Amino acid sequence: MSTAEEINTLLVANFGTDPLAIRPEVSLRHLRLDSLALEELRLLIEDRMGIDLDDVQLTSRDTVGQLVDAVHRKAAA
Amino acid sequence: MTGRPYRPEPFAAAVTGIGLVTAAGAGTEATWREVSAPSAAPSVPHRPELHGLPCDFMYTITGLDPRELLGVATARLMDRFSQLAVVAAREAVADAGLDPSAWDAGRVAVVIGSAHGGLPFYDEQHTTLTERGARRVSPKLAPLTVVNGAASSVATDLGALGPSQAVSTACSSGTVALGTAHQMLRTGACDIVVAGGAESVCSRLLIASACRLKAVSTRRDAPETACRPFDIHRDGFVVGEGAGLLVLERPEHARARGATVRAHVAGYGAASDAYSAVAPDPGGLGIERALRSALADAGLGAGDIGHVNAHGTSTVANDLIEATMLRRVLGEHPLVTSTKAMTGHTLGAAGGIETALTVLALQHRLVPPTVNLDAPDPAIPVDVVRKEARPGLFDAAVKTSLGFGGHNAALVLTRA
Repeated sequence: MSTAEEINTLLVANFGTDPLAIRPEVSLRHLRLDSLALEELRLLIEDRMGIDLDDVQLTSRDTVGQLVDAVHRKAAA
Repeated sequence: MTGRPYRPEPFAAAVTGIGLVTAAGAGTEATWREVSAPSAAPSVPHRPELHGLPCDFMYTITGLDPRELLGVATARLMDRFSQLAVVAAREAVADAGLDPSAWDAGRVAVVIGSAHGGLPFYDEQHTTLTERGARRVSPKLAPLTVVNGAASSVATDLGALGPSQAVSTACSSGTVALGTAHQMLRTGACDIVVAGGAESVCSRLLIASACRLKAVSTRRDAPETACRPFDIHRDGFVVGEGAGLLVLERPEHARARGATVRAHVAGYGAASDAYSAVAPDPGGLGIERALRSALADAGLGAGDIGHVNAHGTSTVANDLIEATMLRRVLGEHPLVTSTKAMTGHTLGAAGGIETALTVLALQHRLVPPTVNLDAPDPAIPVDVVRKEARPGLFDAAVKTSLGFGGHNAALVLTRA
């Protein structure tokens, strides 16, 4: 499963996000991911992918594409 | 020492809606049907979370998954007690014929009692902390575990913009929440209050402690008959989960919109034992003051009360002290019941659930039986309804609640 697919799966299962709304250019805020949800998502991604995102800055203004890129870089490191 | 308060003008809040989610049934009609005429043994499964404890069973809601009903996006920020509260609130508001998209939201308040809030999530996250370290602890701990989680979740879900708050007085929380709602309506702070209690504490931490306290029944071989209020062989309460919420309205507000009024909350009284962290006052003096205060608030006398939905927890101390107090204050004529043998002791939700059942008893003029009362304790000096529901031509009823810490509360309800 690709990084994007992993994140999509987490968003749908844990946040009830509409899968059709998850597109690279869409902001996380648009998906109703506030600061609390982002921290929850960070833990879920870390657990699912076995990586450490502690030093990755995430804000609701970031897009899905930016999140996927950041996670992908960590996973590949 | 009398604690006699200043008496404002009598005020009867209209009960226009009920929402119930209990182990006896998912929904008001399902719960009432099963409580008033039990068709099967209550749902008291052994819970894997409690495996190995002297009390490993709990009244559990089946046939309804609040997460599925509310959807992940809504349910994810609530622990189970808040989810149950939202399910009950939606039913109560619909039952009242209210449309949250059309009401004056600033005049709608929410008051919900809970003893332990999101303790199960706290329990789970403590395990995470000790086993996996601080970085794995969820950022949702505070919003999910606070006792006001149910009140804030319901206010958010309904879009209620008036005052919202939690009440936490242990096992009398739901009754005190309804009393608080009655007072808010009386002062004119709002027109509508969604009030009651919610609890869901399948927490290994809590039940382990309750076992050490010897407060809970240890009849692991027969969980369905372990809760037996007023029975000579009672040995402690059995925890249950659930939510019971009522829509209370200022009477002129209910009248103006042509609402169907189920009953009235006519009086409220509360008093403290100032005696013990866990044991009730041995003479029942605190609950007596609360009850006398509620009767005076309603302007009714002992002879007016035809039914009592008692706290009746199935502990040796509570049932004897409460029943003796009821006989002293009300006499021998009221039909007394404890519905906990069908719902479990839902702690902070109990007052909400049992007040709703008292309203239904007034409407149907039918007192549900105290299930599992096979061998009545001869020391219990009141007329406890057992075996099957008993009809009665009563126009007023009482709900009593006692909480750890000596928090006593009583409501007087009257027929519409």
